Amino acid sequence: MLGEFINPYYLQVASFILINIILALSIYITLASGQLSLGSAGFMAIGAYTTALLTTNFEVSIIVGIIAGTLLAGILGIIIGIPSLRLTGVFLAIATLGFGEIVRVVLINTEEITRGAIGISGIPQLGKEILTFFEGFGFDPNNLGLTPNQFVFSAIFLVLLIIDILLIWFFLRQKNSRVGRAYSAINMDEDAAATMGINVTYYKVLSFTQGAILAGFAGALYAHVLSYISPADFSYHKAVEILVFSVFGGSEVVVGAIFGASFLTLLPEILRSISDYRFMIYGVLLVVMMAYRPQGIIDERMLRWVKKRFKGGKKDGTKREEN
Amino acid sequence: MKNTKKFILTMIAVMAMVVLAACGGNSSSSSDNDNGNNNGGGSGETVSANIGVVSFMTGSGAAYGEAITNGLKLAQEELNEAGDVNIELLIEDSAGEADQALSAAQKLMNSEDIVGLIGPTLSTEFEVVAPVADQNGIPILGTSVTAEGIPQIGDYVFRDSIPETLAIPASVEKAADEVDAKTVALLYGNDDVFTKAGYDAMKAAAEELDLEVVTTETFQQGQSDYKAQLSKIKQADPDLVLASALYNEGAVLMKQARSMGIDVPFVGGNGFNSPQVIEIAGDDADGLVVATPWFTDSDDERVQAFVEKYTEEFGKAPDQFAAQAYDGLYIMADALKRAGDADSEKLREALLETQDFEGILGTMSFDEEGDIVMDPIVLTIKDGKFVEME
Amino acid sequence: MFLEQLINGLTTGSIYAMVALGYTLVFGVLGIINMAHGEIFMFGAFMGVVITTTFGLPLWLAFLVAAIVTGIMGYLLELLALRPLRKSSESSHLAPLISTIGVSIFLENAADQYFGSGNHPVESGWLDTSFTIGSVTIYTVQLVIFFIAIALMIGLSYWLLKTKGGKALRATAEDLDTASLLGVNTKRMITATVVLASVIGGIAGILVGMAFSSVNPQMGLAIGLKGLAIIILGGMGSVKGAVVGGMILGLSETVIVAIGLSGYRDAIAFVMIIIILLLRPQGLFGKKTA
Repeated sequence: MLGEFINPYYLQVASFILINIILALSIYITLASGQLSLGSAGFMAIGAYTTALLTTNFEVSIIVGIIAGTLLAGILGIIIGIPSLRLTGVFLAIATLGFGEIVRVVLINTEEITRGAIGISGIPQLGKEILTFFEGFGFDPNNLGLTPNQFVFSAIFLVLLIIDILLIWFFLRQKNSRVGRAYSAINMDEDAAATMGINVTYYKVLSFTQGAILAGFAGALYAHVLSYISPADFSYHKAVEILVFSVFGGSEVVVGAIFGASFLTLLPEILRSISDYRFMIYGVLLVVMMAYRPQGIIDERMLRWVKKRFKGGKKDGTKREEN
Repeated sequence: MKNTKKFILTMIAVMAMVVLAACGGNSSSSSDNDNGNNNGGGSGETVSANIGVVSFMTGSGAAYGEAITNGLKLAQEELNEAGDVNIELLIEDSAGEADQALSAAQKLMNSEDIVGLIGPTLSTEFEVVAPVADQNGIPILGTSVTAEGIPQIGDYVFRDSIPETLAIPASVEKAADEVDAKTVALLYGNDDVFTKAGYDAMKAAAEELDLEVVTTETFQQGQSDYKAQLSKIKQADPDLVLASALYNEGAVLMKQARSMGIDVPFVGGNGFNSPQVIEIAGDDADGLVVATPWFTDSDDERVQAFVEKYTEEFGKAPDQFAAQAYDGLYIMADALKRAGDADSEKLREALLETQDFEGILGTMSFDEEGDIVMDPIVLTIKDGKFVEME
Repeated sequence: MFLEQLINGLTTGSIYAMVALGYTLVFGVLGIINMAHGEIFMFGAFMGVVITTTFGLPLWLAFLVAAIVTGIMGYLLELLALRPLRKSSESSHLAPLISTIGVSIFLENAADQYFGSGNHPVESGWLDTSFTIGSVTIYTVQLVIFFIAIALMIGLSYWLLKTKGGKALRATAEDLDTASLLGVNTKRMITATVVLASVIGGIAGILVGMAFSSVNPQMGLAIGLKGLAIIILGGMGSVKGAVVGGMILGLSETVIVAIGLSGYRDAIAFVMIIIILLLRPQGLFGKKTA
């Protein structure tokens, strides 16, 4: 019964969407304070490799591995973020692009540890670990009418879904908090924000670090969903892809990141034959968006309009987006 | 408001482009329905089965995917004509990316009723897909993955492409014998799985044969200037250059090396083996030694028939990727025949029992881990032509 | 050996310098970084492949076609990806960067699609000769590249400093509105700059194709990123900086390979960027104007 409705293919795609949403959020949160980072693929790699190496070599549990990867990405975010403050706009983008490339080159060259371009295989898979954990209590997925395979991918999906909901909730809250307002003030005008007594340095580093943490976290999850990673997964193209998620969906609002990541992850699945043209389409999208709608498909005005339209109806979802 | 209108218009244009691109794209399922595969399960003789294929058909490695799918389609045509089996190929693109390969494989395994899976193309993709196929109990056959440890992923994992650890020692040994080599220089692309795996095998082979490694140099994808590395190799003056490169980089490497006066033989891995090397490097390709399961100019009748048919159908000569895919489907069909039923479990058992299968690549068997057992031939380029090395 | 590596380094450096000149010109006038420059360079290189190898036509024609095609591409880039941004008041300073990243991704994948992935050989004809002085082999193409790079730098500096067009360009770079008030057709100046930069990139591309007899769709990205590193090293908008920076990077990459760290060759450019941005963000010859 339940089994018939659960198709691991859909769950797989949904899981990638959920991971991409986290990545898109990492761009959203750095852009919120007016910083453009092209280093997200690098931070992702740090998160993924940290947990992959820890879990495969030292038998630490997945949770510890993911936390370690996320923290390391965050620490590197601070280390990169503080000196990068001296850089504005374009320079920061190039410096972070440089960071991402350095990470990749180092991963390729430290063969003794990372196996270079061969990559790391046999990383414990999130779903299978959950299954083993439950089986420890004498649980059998067949009791739910599921094959082990269905259970594994449902588990991954559910875990990611919960993580995403928590993150989205957090960032929606943050947007209207002191932190969120400081970000947008800095984004509007850094000098004015400073005169108003906002600690620009602190908030810029905070926003950059939040982005790094999110990217590292997404990377760590990615490693445990695919159970194999290699430096090729974290190239410049990945950074551009992540950027497109956010820029296309809407970089002003949390919903934009969600929409961008979902739409663009689904697109090649629905229209497989466009995958030949996927990056060409991404390219055109970036140009068109910048020319006609730099804030992305979904912006605050659209959300306000939606809210007005459905006033009284759905209060919950849209209310928080208002500024 | 004006802006919004403009924006909407532009978006429509973009979407139209997407749709156009989609229409122009190659259709992804190739079935031979016209001669009717609806014999039903009961007729007994013909085993009808859906085989899923995940291949690298778009992006930088599209040439590999094209060769593979061409090889498969040709085999499918012949097999279905012969009538013992009726195979429908369900082909999905992976674009060379692990996550897309996994989604594609999931789609095939869960939304379509496939008994076996062929592909994906790259080791990086295969490492992600194979464990999931294994878990699903779907036999998966790699026709182009040459890295170490692939068949060991699981009980349902097979490959018919000869691993670098088998091919490279053979070619290094032959080449070293030929020039009575004492010293070698190693040169490899370190940011690519194919070439890195080849390098590991070369290093091991050099150690095995007591060859002294005088220098080890690396290069990266997209680089076209190898002069700095080659200058070092020239200075080290080795008897052999072991170069683990994909053919298009490798050809350029040889061209530059020859023009700098490095005249010693080059030993390449699996990825270096392609007629394209001669096309790109011309005379400078002479002296390349590769071990390969596949030799286009072999005298074997079946090989020649395959080459002719393939060339006629697709307008170019087949390479080893096409040949390995072609044999791969034949092996699967053979196993299906013996299994007598389109069932994944039976297919796995039958595949494991594959012994001395005569394909265009030669005589092939699977060992108990599902890895290929066969003798590679060692080829060298002489006067702009691949010839077998004695 | 040392001399040979020195020559290798200078050749690579000259190419980097030519690529960096394109970035620096555009930055000097428009104050933006054209992330698509590397891909225009790559298209120039592909024109060499198409003309000489595919059609078997003479080399000079390849240079001409490469210059024209990349010039048109530069014009289209300005028209489609940059001009709309200047009109739109909403767009931030990041918009041109993202927009040109879009163009670069588009062009790279278009080349992949239409020229085919992998390396394409180039017939370099008479340039494919070499001569030996003592123990050192020098290739004609290396000399040609070196001298074209120097000539471009001198020519460009002269043009910028002495001619009317160059002065107009510098005025535009200094202050767009004032230049416009003083009767400079700034719109045309901007277009001219992007076209000029693209043509230089295209010629650099075809030279690279010949020097290494190989062209692939990914080379634009690889070399473009290095061009970026160089202008940051040399100073944004500085012609001298582009040339000196190019040579420094070319030589240090060769040194890295020579001391046996060839795997880290690609990382040098980025380590350089980060160090220079932290120590001297304006670059070695940093001033804002060209």
